[in-house]
Amino acid sequence: MKRKIYYLALALTAAVISSCNKLDNYAPPSETLKGRILDANTGSPVQSEVSGDNGSGTRIKLLEISWSANPTPLYLATKQDGTYSNTKVFAATYKMTAEGAFVPMVQTNVDQSKTVEVKGGTTTVDFTVSPFLEVQWVSGPTLNADGTVSAQVKVTRGTTNTAFQQEITDLWLFVSPTQYCGNNNYDNRYAQHITYTGLTGNDIIGQTITLKTTGGALPTKRDWYFRIGTRINYGTKQYNYNEPKVLTIP
Amino acid sequence: MKRKIYILLIMLVAIAPSCKKNLDIPPMNIVSDADIFGSISGVESYMARMYSELPMEDFKWSPTGTFNTYYFGSPAQITGEALSRDPQPLTENNPETSSIKTLWANSYILIREANYFMATLPNYASNFGDAQVTSWLAEARFIRAATYFALVKRYGGVPLVDKLLTQPGQSIDDITKNIDDLMVPRASEAGIYDFIGTDLDEAYNKLPETNKAGRANKYAAAALKSRAMLYAGSIAKYNTIALSSGSALVCGIPTSKAITYFKAAYDAANLLNGKYSLYLKNWAAGDKTAQYTNFVNTFIDATSPENIFIRQYKFPDAVHWYDVNNVPRQISTSVSSETSPTLNFVEMFEGMPKNDDGTIKTVDASGKYILYDNVTDLFANAEPRLRATVILPGDAFSNVNIDIRRGIYTGSTSGGINKLVPFGSTAAYPTATVVSSPSSTQTPYTLPNGTKMNPAGLSGYFTNTSGSAGSISGFLVRKYLVPNKPVAEIANNHSDQSWIELRYAEVLLNKAEAAYELNTLGQTGTYTADALSIINQIRSRAGASTLTSISSINDIRMERRKELAFENKTYWDLKRWRIFDKEQNGTTWRVLNPFYTAETGKYFFDPRLDERNTRFTFDPKWYYEEIPASVISKSPNIIQNPGY
Repeated sequence: MKRKIYYLALALTAAVISSCNKLDNYAPPSETLKGRILDANTGSPVQSEVSGDNGSGTRIKLLEISWSANPTPLYLATKQDGTYSNTKVFAATYKMTAEGAFVPMVQTNVDQSKTVEVKGGTTTVDFTVSPFLEVQWVSGPTLNADGTVSAQVKVTRGTTNTAFQQEITDLWLFVSPTQYCGNNNYDNRYAQHITYTGLTGNDIIGQTITLKTTGGALPTKRDWYFRIGTRINYGTKQYNYNEPKVLTIP
Repeated sequence: MKRKIYILLIMLVAIAPSCKKNLDIPPMNIVSDADIFGSISGVESYMARMYSELPMEDFKWSPTGTFNTYYFGSPAQITGEALSRDPQPLTENNPETSSIKTLWANSYILIREANYFMATLPNYASNFGDAQVTSWLAEARFIRAATYFALVKRYGGVPLVDKLLTQPGQSIDDITKNIDDLMVPRASEAGIYDFIGTDLDEAYNKLPETNKAGRANKYAAAALKSRAMLYAGSIAKYNTIALSSGSALVCGIPTSKAITYFKAAYDAANLLNGKYSLYLKNWAAGDKTAQYTNFVNTFIDATSPENIFIRQYKFPDAVHWYDVNNVPRQISTSVSSETSPTLNFVEMFEGMPKNDDGTIKTVDASGKYILYDNVTDLFANAEPRLRATVILPGDAFSNVNIDIRRGIYTGSTSGGINKLVPFGSTAAYPTATVVSSPSSTQTPYTLPNGTKMNPAGLSGYFTNTSGSAGSISGFLVRKYLVPNKPVAEIANNHSDQSWIELRYAEVLLNKAEAAYELNTLGQTGTYTADALSIINQIRSRAGASTLTSISSINDIRMERRKELAFENKTYWDLKRWRIFDKEQNGTTWRVLNPFYTAETGKYFFDPRLDERNTRFTFDPKWYYEEIPASVISKSPNIIQNPGY
C-alpha cells in the first residue's frame, strides 16, 4: 500500500515537472529584410551617422500588424551610407517607415508608410525621402601648409515644404581616424564647429563655405576621414551629412 | 464505536467557540483603513509617507541615479554650473538615466496613495472636524499636483489618473475583466498642466494660511502653480518637438496657449504678495560684508521669511551628505570638493575686471598676465551674492582661508608673463615653467629666496583629478554649506540642513519672467515695469548694481540662473527654454587657475578650457525623456517619445 502511494507521488511529480518544461518551439527569425533610404532629389542613398536603434541617425520602424493594430514598435539600425540589412527578422506583415533627418513619412494627414509581408528569404524595401538639407563637397579636403586641412562645401535645402525649412543651427567639419565619422564619433581636438544664432544660419544656403580643422596640425602618417554635418532647428535636430572622404597625411 | 463518539465530542468542542463573536477580529498583522483614518496620528503618518515620497530634486537627487540616493559627484555638473571630479556627463540614452526606471512607477504609486486618501478620508470624516478634513484633502491635491509636475516636466503628457482604477480587495478576475480600461493612454501635455493648475487652485482655496514646517500651506500651492504655469508657457513658446497620441498632443503645447499659461503664472505669483518677503535680516545698504552674510544665512536660517515650502532633515533619522561632499578639502578630507563651479558660471556675476565680450580680464592689452599681490585681489570687489554662492580662491570659509592654487610659475617674470597656453586651447601646461602637484601629498618647491612652498593649494588643484580630492576649476561651491560645522560632524549621513524647495525669490523671478514674456507676446499692462522692479529687488538684496531697463528676456534668465544656482532648478530652466542643446553642443567649460610666481611672489590667473577636456552635449531628443520600456510593454496604448 505504502509503495503504491510512493509510486503515485513520483508519477505525479514527474508529470508536474515535465509540464514546466515547455520548450520554445517557435522557429527562430530567419528572414532577411534590407533596402535603402533614397534621396528624392538625387536618387542616391541618404547619408546619416552610425546609428543604433535608439534614434541617433536614420532608423527603420517596424510595426508588426499581424496580431494587433497597435503593437509595440521594433526598430532596425541602418548603416551610415543610407542602407540597411537585417538577417534575423520574423516572417510577418510589417508596417514600415524610416525616421531620420528628412521630412517625416508619417504626419497628420500624410502616411507614406509601407505595408510589407516579409517571408521566403530576402525582402527588399526602399524608401524615398526628402532630406532637410543637402550637403555637397565642392573641393577638398586638402592639406594646408601648416598641417591643417581645408574643405569647401555647399549646403542647400532638400525640401520645398516650408514646414521643414527651419533655420540652420550648426555646421560641422567632423574629423575622425575611421570612416565612421559624425556627430557621435569625431576627434574634438580638430573638428570645426560653427553655430548660428537666430536666422543667420540661413545665409549659408547655396553659398560655397570654406571649413578648416582647428587645434593646430593634424597628426601625420595616417589616414584621416572628413565629413560635413549640418542640421536645422526641427524636432530632435538630427544631422544631415555628405559622404565621408579620406585624406592620407604623409 | 465509542471511539468515534469521542472524536465527535472533540470536534464539537472545537467548533463551538468559533461561533463566539468576540473572537471574530480583524487580522492583527494588517493596518486597516480604520486604524489609519480613525485618528489624527494615523492620518499624519499617511501624510508623512506621501511627503517623504514626493519627487523633489533635493540634496539627494542625482540626475544619473534617482531620488534619495547617495552618490559621488554633483547635479550641477550637467547644467554647466560646475565641474565635478566624478564626472557624470549626460549619457547616451538620457541625462536622467536610472531615474527613468523608477520615477514613473513610483510616481503612480504616490498618485494612487493621494487618490486613495481623497476617496477614503470622507468616510471617516466624523472623527475630525470639517475644517481639518478639508485641509487634509487639499494637501493630498497639492501632493498629487506636485507628482504630476515631476512627470510632465520629464515626459510631456502622461496618463491622467484622478481616481482609483481598482478597489482594494478586488479579485484578479474582476481586474482583468476590464483590463482595457486600465490601459490609460497618454493625455496631452497641456491637459496635464491644466490638471495641475486645477488641483493647485483647489489646494490654494482649501489649505490653511500656515501649516507645519515641511508641509504645504496655501501659498506653497500658489508658488508651485506659478512655477508649473511658467514651465507650460515656456514650452508653448519655445518647444519645436511634436508628437500626437490619437487626438492628444502628448509632446508640445499649442503656441496659442502661451499667453494663458504666462498669465496664470503671473497671477499665481501675485497671491503671495505681502505674505512672504526676501530674507534681509543681516542686510545693510552699501555694506558688502553684511550683504554677503545675509545671502549665506538665507539658506541656513530656519526662520527665514523667504521659505515657502521646505523638506526637513534631522540627524540621525533623516539625513543627507551635502556638507561632506562639498566642503573644501582643507575642512574635511573624507570626500569633499565635489562641486567646482565653472568660470562660465562665475562670469555671470559682476564686480570683477571684464573684457568687452563679458569674459574675465586677467591679461593686459599686450597679452601679458596682470599680476596681483594677493590671491584675493582679483575678486576684491565681487558681488556679495557671488561670494556667498561660490568660494573664491583665498576666501574665508569656516574661519579658514581656502587655499586654491594651480601651481607655481618658475619661469622669468621680467618683461611680463605671456599666456601659458593660447585661449581656447585644451593643451597641457608647459612643464618647464610650471610646477604642479599630482596629489595632496605634496613635494614642496624651494623658492629663490630659500623658503619652501607647496606647488598646489591645500584645497587643490591636484593634477590627478580623479585620485585626489580638490577644486578642479579654481572655485568651490559655498551655497547651502553650514559654516563652522565641527569636523566630526562633516561625515556621510550627518548633514541635516533643510532643503528649500520653494522660496520667495523664485516666485518673484517666476513673476518677472512671466511678465516679460507677456509683454513680448503683445500684452499690455504694467508688465515690463513689474519685471524691472522685481529684478532690481533681487539684485539689491544680492549686492549687485540695479538696472535701468531690461533689454531682453536674457537679463531675467541670467538673474534667475545666478539667484537659483546650485538649487537644482537650472536643469529644468535650460530644458524649458529649449536652449540646453545650444549651450551644450560639444561644449568644454572654462576654469580659472591661480598661479604663484616664484621670482616675484605675485599671483596671476589663467582662464582656460577644462584641462580634462570633458565635453558636454545635450541631445535635443532629451527635452522629452525616454518612457521606460516596462511601461510600454504593460500598455501598448502608451507611445514612446520621439527618438528613443
